[in-house]
Amino acid sequence: MSTTEAKSIDDTLINMITTLKPIIKSDIKPLECETTLKRRASSTGMFDYITPAKKTKQDLTVEYIGSPREARRLRADLIEARNNVLSLENRIKHMHTVRQETQIMFDAELRSLQHQHEYDRKSITDLEEQLQTIRKRESDLKIESMELKTKYDTLKIDSDKRVEELEKQLANFKANSVIEYDTKNELITNLKSKVLELETTLKTVEEDCVAHKKLSSELEKRLSTKNEVERNLELKDQAWQRVRLELKDLEYIRDNYIEYQQQIKTHQHKLLAYDELEKENQQLKEEMKRLRDAVHNKLLLEEEVYDLRNRLTNYKEQEKKLSALQVAQVQSDLYLNEWRSVARGICETTGSDATLPHLLRSVVEHLQQQELTLTEMKVQLESQLSVSTHEAKVARSELEKCQNLISDYQASDQHKQCLIRRMQKKLLLVSRERDSYRLQLDSYERDLTMTVNTGSAAQGGIQQSQRDRIENLERIVEGYRDMVSKLEADLQKNEPTTNHAENIPIRTEQMSRLQDEIDRLKMDNDHLREQRDNLEIQLEKLSSPGNDTNSGRIVHLAMNPLAEHIQQHDNELELLKETNERLKRKIKHLEEGLEGSKLMDISTNPKDINTLKEQLKSSESQMQRLKEYFKSSMQEFRNVVYMLLGYKIDKNSNSQYKLTSMYAEQQEDQICFQLNSEGALNLLENEFSTTLEDMVDLHLRHQKSIPVFLSAITMDLFNNRTMATKTFEIDDD
Amino acid sequence: MAAQKSKSAITVRGSAEIVCEYLDFGINSILFQRGLYPPEDFKTVENYGLPIYMSQNNKIKEFLSSTFCQLKDWLVKRLVDKIALIVTNVKSREVMERWDFIVQYEGDVTNPNQTSDKPLKQIQNEIRDVLKQIASSVAYLPLLDCLCSFDIQLYTKKDIDLPSEWADTHPADIKNAQFVRLRSFSTNIHKMETLVTYKSED
Repeated sequence: MSTTEAKSIDDTLINMITTLKPIIKSDIKPLECETTLKRRASSTGMFDYITPAKKTKQDLTVEYIGSPREARRLRADLIEARNNVLSLENRIKHMHTVRQETQIMFDAELRSLQHQHEYDRKSITDLEEQLQTIRKRESDLKIESMELKTKYDTLKIDSDKRVEELEKQLANFKANSVIEYDTKNELITNLKSKVLELETTLKTVEEDCVAHKKLSSELEKRLSTKNEVERNLELKDQAWQRVRLELKDLEYIRDNYIEYQQQIKTHQHKLLAYDELEKENQQLKEEMKRLRDAVHNKLLLEEEVYDLRNRLTNYKEQEKKLSALQVAQVQSDLYLNEWRSVARGICETTGSDATLPHLLRSVVEHLQQQELTLTEMKVQLESQLSVSTHEAKVARSELEKCQNLISDYQASDQHKQCLIRRMQKKLLLVSRERDSYRLQLDSYERDLTMTVNTGSAAQGGIQQSQRDRIENLERIVEGYRDMVSKLEADLQKNEPTTNHAENIPIRTEQMSRLQDEIDRLKMDNDHLREQRDNLEIQLEKLSSPGNDTNSGRIVHLAMNPLAEHIQQHDNELELLKETNERLKRKIKHLEEGLEGSKLMDISTNPKDINTLKEQLKSSESQMQRLKEYFKSSMQEFRNVVYMLLGYKIDKNSNSQYKLTSMYAEQQEDQICFQLNSEGALNLLENEFSTTLEDMVDLHLRHQKSIPVFLSAITMDLFNNRTMATKTFEIDDD
Repeated sequence: MAAQKSKSAITVRGSAEIVCEYLDFGINSILFQRGLYPPEDFKTVENYGLPIYMSQNNKIKEFLSSTFCQLKDWLVKRLVDKIALIVTNVKSREVMERWDFIVQYEGDVTNPNQTSDKPLKQIQNEIRDVLKQIASSVAYLPLLDCLCSFDIQLYTKKDIDLPSEWADTHPADIKNAQFVRLRSFSTNIHKMETLVTYKSED
């Protein structure tokens, strides 16, 4: 299909292209008809068609020149023709342009169509490919469908089989159900018969119930009557209790009355005895006074006795002392006599004793003065001693020095003596040599005279001998020179010592002179030392210029800060002293005051303390009595309250009150109240109060009355206690 | 200063004033340095290019001014030999320290109209050096660890008219004393030698 379509499209396109060409040709054909020129131009294209045309025109003009009219007409025609030609040429040009445009358009269209054609072709190939794939798929699908069909067939066969089986089963079930239905019908009939039986029995039971109801109503009536009776009994019981209480009260009152009567009687008796008692009282008081006086006197006497005893002991001690003193006096008298004798011995007088001490004193003073002078002398001597010892030391050291010097000198002296000996020896040697030289010289002279005498004959031998001699002499001279130089050196070496050696004889003299010099220098030294000390003292005086002796006045402002400060300080000191004194006095006073108070206590003791003690005792006894009274009355009050209200009230700490009912079943059943800060009572929860919740609710929360609550509890407890007895009574009835 | 009557010429009175000014600064400085009065009583005043602590205590100021008033008079008359600042222990009355300002009269002593042409600047420099020494004296002077007060004694010639508020006194000698001589300065009329004597510690 598609291929055919494509082919048809192709055909049409080819047709269109082919048909277009003749159309264009046909379009051009009429143009050919109009002018040859044009056709030529169109057929050949556009090149050089104008120039041949012109040539033709030129040819025409050359042919027609004959008549002017003709010429004119021809010219007009020519002009027209030229105009026509021009217009035609214009048209041709226009047509050319149009053709070109169309050609361009055509070309564009052609290109677009070709493009489209290509595109279509591509699409066609694509579509063909798609078609092929689709075909493949179709074939696959067909194969699949075939397979599925076969499966389906097998399934159908299976299902048919199953359906058949199931139908069989169904038939079986139907048969079973029919059988069961029959059996159930049988059962239903049985049950229906049972129901009927039960209905009949129900009716009979209902009848019985009615009868029972009647019975119960009768019984209730009887119960109510019994209850009324019980209530009456209770009321009576209560009344009886009240009566009993009243009876008790009355008995109590009667007892009281009897007591009062007895008391009245006793009081009357006491009143009768009152006068006697008063008399007795007065007598006793008088006696009391007498006794007090006696006691007072006795205490005074005791004090006196004590005082006297103290004095006695003091006296005894003094007596002892006295005896000791007497002994001492005797002894001192002895001593005194001895002293006196000694003093007389010292003073060498036999005058009276009165002048003796004065004399002795003067002697002693004299001795003391002597001692003072002696000590002064001693000090001086000591100082002198020290100075002299110092000097001695110095002298000794110098002496040592000198001795050293002497020993040195002696050593040098010996040395020099040795030297002198050596020198003497040398001198001997030198003198000998000199002698020898002299001898030699003499021999020379002799020789000389000999030579002069002998002449020139023996000149050669003589010259030879002379030469030998000269050489010998020269040698000797050299040796001599050496010796001289050696000796000179020795001399030079020994020169300094030789100088001293010369001083040896004057050494002792020099020593003494030196000693003198040393002494003088020592003297000078001491003198200078003294001077220096003096100068130092002076310098010290001078160096502290404040301590100098001022010839003028030293003045200052009387009101200077120092004076002020000192004044202030003194004032403060004075003040402090005063305060100190005051405080001391105060302390003393306080101490005295303490002692005084103690003394006062002792002094007042016998007088007042007894009375005070009595007062104390009486007040204490009064207190005791009051306490006892209060205790008894309290007990009584509590008992009464207990009896009247049926509650024992105990006070705990923290203003807690514990109420224990008279009829409490257990001792632990207590009601606790606490007095709060506003003065109201709060019920405290405990084990017992939790059991009274309804009463708390009614009487406290609702009625807000504690007495009602308490009496309700009393009633409740009472009823509980008496219930048992009552029931017994009822049972007995 | 007041001493400058004319160009660099100092009169006797001017010289006395310079001396008194020096004494004022010196004594105030000593009072501060030696801790005779609490430091909060003092205020620094710049003088001779040195910060000097001047006492603001009215009593001290009054005392010093009255002393210097009289001293100036006597200095002009050349009647004073020495000014001594005595530091005394109030409790024991023992003299702890003495600052001597010894006055020497220079030049023509008989001429009451004597003048000096020493430049003021030089004198002030000399005074500054002495004040510096005073300020640094704390370094070697023993610590005054007791309640002390001071007095100013003037050592004068015999022939003076003593005003009623003045009184004779005894020289304040220090036993076992050591002394330090400070620098001196001169106006060419008055020569001030400063010397501190103190109780040796051992």
